[in-house]
Amino acid sequence: MHELSIAMNIVEIAEEERLRHHAARVRAIHLRLGPLSGVSKDALLFSYPFACEGTPLEGSRLAIHEERAGEALEIIALEVES
Amino acid sequence: MVEVRQRVLKQNDMLARDLRERFREAGTYVVSIVSSPGSGKTMFLERLLATLRGESRVAALVGDLATENDALRLQRSGAPVKQITTGSICHLDASMVSNALASWDVSQLDILFIENVGNLVCPSSYDLGEDLRVVLLSVTEGEDKPLKYPTIFNTADVAVITKMDLAEAVEFDRDAAHRNIQSVRPGMRVFEVSAKTGLGMRQWTDFLQSAH
Repeated sequence: MHELSIAMNIVEIAEEERLRHHAARVRAIHLRLGPLSGVSKDALLFSYPFACEGTPLEGSRLAIHEERAGEALEIIALEVES
Repeated sequence: MVEVRQRVLKQNDMLARDLRERFREAGTYVVSIVSSPGSGKTMFLERLLATLRGESRVAALVGDLATENDALRLQRSGAPVKQITTGSICHLDASMVSNALASWDVSQLDILFIENVGNLVCPSSYDLGEDLRVVLLSVTEGEDKPLKYPTIFNTADVAVITKMDLAEAVEFDRDAAHRNIQSVRPGMRVFEVSAKTGLGMRQWTDFLQSAH
């Protein structure tokens, strides 16, 4: 269960991107996830709200796009409100 | 929508790259050891440190959630050993390795071993800057471990089957184990050892000495 640490990394990166784009709020994070990433989709979705708690990302949605192969674990886009 | 394209573990990967560079400049060969809890990582390392100590300058970092037990055990070999206690974290990451090495001069080492937290899942995602990742599989765990945990076998470079002295007692199916390893990681080099009796340890240390 390292998904909580992964979720916290995601929140950290998203927050940096939010600031960089001068956005008021992040509505959703889109993530690419490969089967060899070693990360479980369900556990990550479960951990995500806990990682967001008390951060500006609280209430945002994590959208996971599963790949058929590979070890991708990458944030591809953010939905933001300016 | 804002395009990002950033690997979630980018920070770890960058730190691992820096560590790898530092090890390369220092001429230190770094071997990480991963396995499930109880497959014999510490015993294996204990034997390795004792055997290699006469030939090379060796040291070890050992990761656990709690206790200094493993470090105390390994220190008996006389080699420098440092415990990394992770608290509740199920794996080592590059920053923990980097912090643990802060007071060490790695250029004084030929081989540094990093014993990861006993876990066949989480450590697979974290690059520690190692040159060689070794996955241990003990004969008591069942031959199908590689099929159950393919990711860790995929990210490892070499597999070592441990506790071979118990193989007969637990009716270990050697062919099945090798077949399963090869099916998840074709061409993977596999060693069979018993750290307790010393069986196969020479081949393994010879391999290590020739690899760095």
